[in-house]
Amino acid sequence: MGIERLVGAVEIGKLSSVLPELIIFTLAFILFALDLFLKPSQKKAILPPLTAGGYIIALLSFPLVETGINFGGTYVVDKLSLIIKVFAILIALTVLAFSRIYFSERKSFYGEYYYIITFTLLGAMILASSYNLIVVYVALELVSVGFYILTALLRGSFISKEGAFKYLIFGGISIALASYGAVFMYIYSGSVDLREILTHKGEDLHYLILGLVFFMIGFAAKVGAVPFHFWLPDAYEGAPTPVTAFMASVGKMAFFIPVIRVMPYISETFHLPWVLTVGAIAGITMLYGNVVALVQKNIKRLLSYSSVAHSGYFLAGIASASLIGVKAVVYFLIVYAIISAGAFLTVAYLEKNKDWSNRIQEFSGLRFNFPYLAFGFMVLLLAMLGVPPTVGFVGKALVFTSLSFSSLWVVILIMIIATGISTGYYLRLIVLMYMKDREKTISVENKSIYEVISLILLSASAVLLGVLPSIVWRFISESGDILFKGLK
Amino acid sequence: MKIEAIIYNIPYISISMLIPVIFSLLIAFTKEAYTKHLALISVSANFLLSLYMAILFDTSNSQSLYFYESYTIIDELNISLTLGLDGLSMLMFLLTTLVSLVAVVWSLRDKQINLRLKEYYIAFLLTESFLIGVFASWDLIAFYVFYELTLVPMFFVIGIWGYKLRLYSAYKFFIYIFVSSLFLLAGIVSTASQHYKKFGEFSFNYFDLLNNEYSLPFEIFLFFLFFIAFAVKTPIVPFHTWLPDAHGEAPTAGSVVLAAILLKMGTYALLRFNIGLLPEASKFLFPYLAILGIISIAYASWMTIVQKNIKRFVAYSSVSHMGFVVASMFFLNKIGFKASVIEMFAHGLTSASLFMIAGFVYNRLHTFNMDNLKGSVKFMPLFAIIVAITGFASMGLPGGSSFWGKFLTLMSAREHGMELAIGVLVGGFFSAVYVLYMLKTLFLDVKEESVLIHFKDIRGAKLLAFIGVIIPIFMVGFLPFIFFGFYERFLDFFTSNILNR
Repeated sequence: MGIERLVGAVEIGKLSSVLPELIIFTLAFILFALDLFLKPSQKKAILPPLTAGGYIIALLSFPLVETGINFGGTYVVDKLSLIIKVFAILIALTVLAFSRIYFSERKSFYGEYYYIITFTLLGAMILASSYNLIVVYVALELVSVGFYILTALLRGSFISKEGAFKYLIFGGISIALASYGAVFMYIYSGSVDLREILTHKGEDLHYLILGLVFFMIGFAAKVGAVPFHFWLPDAYEGAPTPVTAFMASVGKMAFFIPVIRVMPYISETFHLPWVLTVGAIAGITMLYGNVVALVQKNIKRLLSYSSVAHSGYFLAGIASASLIGVKAVVYFLIVYAIISAGAFLTVAYLEKNKDWSNRIQEFSGLRFNFPYLAFGFMVLLLAMLGVPPTVGFVGKALVFTSLSFSSLWVVILIMIIATGISTGYYLRLIVLMYMKDREKTISVENKSIYEVISLILLSASAVLLGVLPSIVWRFISESGDILFKGLK
Repeated sequence: MKIEAIIYNIPYISISMLIPVIFSLLIAFTKEAYTKHLALISVSANFLLSLYMAILFDTSNSQSLYFYESYTIIDELNISLTLGLDGLSMLMFLLTTLVSLVAVVWSLRDKQINLRLKEYYIAFLLTESFLIGVFASWDLIAFYVFYELTLVPMFFVIGIWGYKLRLYSAYKFFIYIFVSSLFLLAGIVSTASQHYKKFGEFSFNYFDLLNNEYSLPFEIFLFFLFFIAFAVKTPIVPFHTWLPDAHGEAPTAGSVVLAAILLKMGTYALLRFNIGLLPEASKFLFPYLAILGIISIAYASWMTIVQKNIKRFVAYSSVSHMGFVVASMFFLNKIGFKASVIEMFAHGLTSASLFMIAGFVYNRLHTFNMDNLKGSVKFMPLFAIIVAITGFASMGLPGGSSFWGKFLTLMSAREHGMELAIGVLVGGFFSAVYVLYMLKTLFLDVKEESVLIHFKDIRGAKLLAFIGVIIPIFMVGFLPFIFFGFYERFLDFFTSNILNR
């Protein structure tokens, strides 16, 4: 590939389709430069509003974006990628609202935080819109490396370092596996485009199978599917809580998108093996995640295992290998990003209290200390449990629909059992908050209006998108149709 | 035959669902001093509205869908909030508004309710709204949403204002019903997927799903997915174990709503969905289910007799009554359906009254133990009359509300054969025994200390609450044709639809 062709691939007119990415990218570099030259006191004042402002500008630029295939087919801007990007930036904004106070309370303000989280966001956005193995690989690294650093950000904390270390090793192995798989797929087809690879009619099918298995194991580790989930609870517990919220929402959403993109193609060629393996992993993941969550004493670990279990629900929808399955999973991913961000940010809010140590027991009588916060948290927990009319219910109902559509009765049964088990720990938190007396009076100083607004937004949308799912459903439905249309 | 939708200019059902929601918001944001007034206004307004709607309802045309409204939720999957009342729903709707009124009136003077008043009344108002949604929804997803939503406020009512074992009971209540209703969700989405496979589009609308056709084994499979949820909710023995705990530990008004309306959701749905949507499976399974119902009657009656706690006593008696409802329903003939529906309504009234009796006795004696209640009605003549009326009505004495249900159940069993009729008769005998046992304990047994205690007789709000259920009890007993009239035409239509498919 000559340099002329590479340059020629970038048609200036089409840069408008990557406008949000460009804005985020520029913002990251500006933040990087400012971090070098500003004094610490100036950083505290300038960096957070600048980052938020940049995100908002990126959001505002979305109406200008043209959909289409860009950069010689390596970069796909379709409805799916757009909706994921919009929600990724929105959730990043809510996380940002918590960062300043959280880190300054721990006497560990880092300017790096802002540009690393921006780069991570950029990685997630790129990951959401490519079929190209190389681009996927680069974006995967961009997201992962950012997460490793962010996890270890609390310099004095042992569990933060432990979590980051585990995450680094597991993440490194999984990326190595994914790239190894990519090599095999290249050998099979002579192409790095996933669509071409999977529609290629080659001789050595075992290369393709080997490649796909490695590639999928890499992603299974990234999304925390059992048995590749070991890093997840430690990393989620160790990371600063706003970062955990970011990883559990935007990270999870981004890591699932490539899997969703290849699903229509794989299910065409390897329908039965795909359904069986993914269905089995989904079943194991949701059972394991929920059972282990049941015995957790720490709220962050509990929510981490619930996040593992949710990976199982998403995989169940993907296992159904149907159009309704894709739509179900995209909807569920977006709304889960909202509720998990909300839940972790609630914990971050409570952590501002000096005596708070994240034990489950400390939630006793939270209703008396923080009536509105407790109500919002209850809504989020009910959403995770899947009680109507919250978003969690709509997501689960859609996954059920896709499973019954593909007649995967065993997976349905496992999902019912898993959800039944999960009732135990979600309900215990609600009982503690509303039906027990408080252990002690907890109060939080240093409130900020942005934190309150972002919590209200997240909790409210957990109900609103469930009552009126058509707000996002139109986009999701179209994006699902497009994924399958590419096949024909 | 096609079902006709009758549309009014005013969205009556939405209004009756929104009144409680709006008043809960008002309660949440006003002073606690106004809470009781607001709650009372809300339930009274809703009751009056439902009476007005009953007048608008043309009983000679009760298979049509009155007050029809429809709002799209997800267009592509044909999920919508479709509301409407036919003869069966109308009756359940009236029961809901009546019992909610009674429950709130009772709570006004209940000593158990002294903390967190706002949340308490909000829970009841929301329950009323959701229950109306359950009985008026014609979209299966909307039905499921309301069906599940009734769980949440009741969970709080049991867990916060209940008696000693409240947390245990609240957990048990929630987990049993939540997990069982996940099977219902699986069943609902499976029928919708089946609709897609036949007609090329998803639909959760009841009338679309009526056109579905299944192979018999698959229909039976679907039947069980639905049945598990409703059998737990109803409850049918052996799925009844959550009920004595939940009903026994809930505060009085909570038990009233639980027994009088929440259980009806199960039987209503069995009739509407299991029999209505899956008639072939019902015909195939009917002997087993009818016998299960009869076993429920007899078993629960025996269990009732040995209870020492009067609330658990009443709770088990509910299980036995529900046995009648389920058995008569699965005889699958018109008289059976007729018996089943009138018995649902009648049980709503008597069980509400029985739980209020238990609550009242607790208020005076601070115990639920039957041994300590001996002869306790002695100094309360008015209360004694209420207890006697309720007891005999619940037993099935002519003139009381349960008579028609039990009598018609016998008739419908007789259509299938003498053996079933004898089964029902024996079950009915046991259910009379426990009521007599209760009446004997409260009236005839003598306890020495009780002579010394001077109870005040029932009065005020609580008396009003009792009157609110006793008048309908006599109405059902003496003027049953009013209630039969509501759903007579509907049953003709329903029965012919099932038997001739």
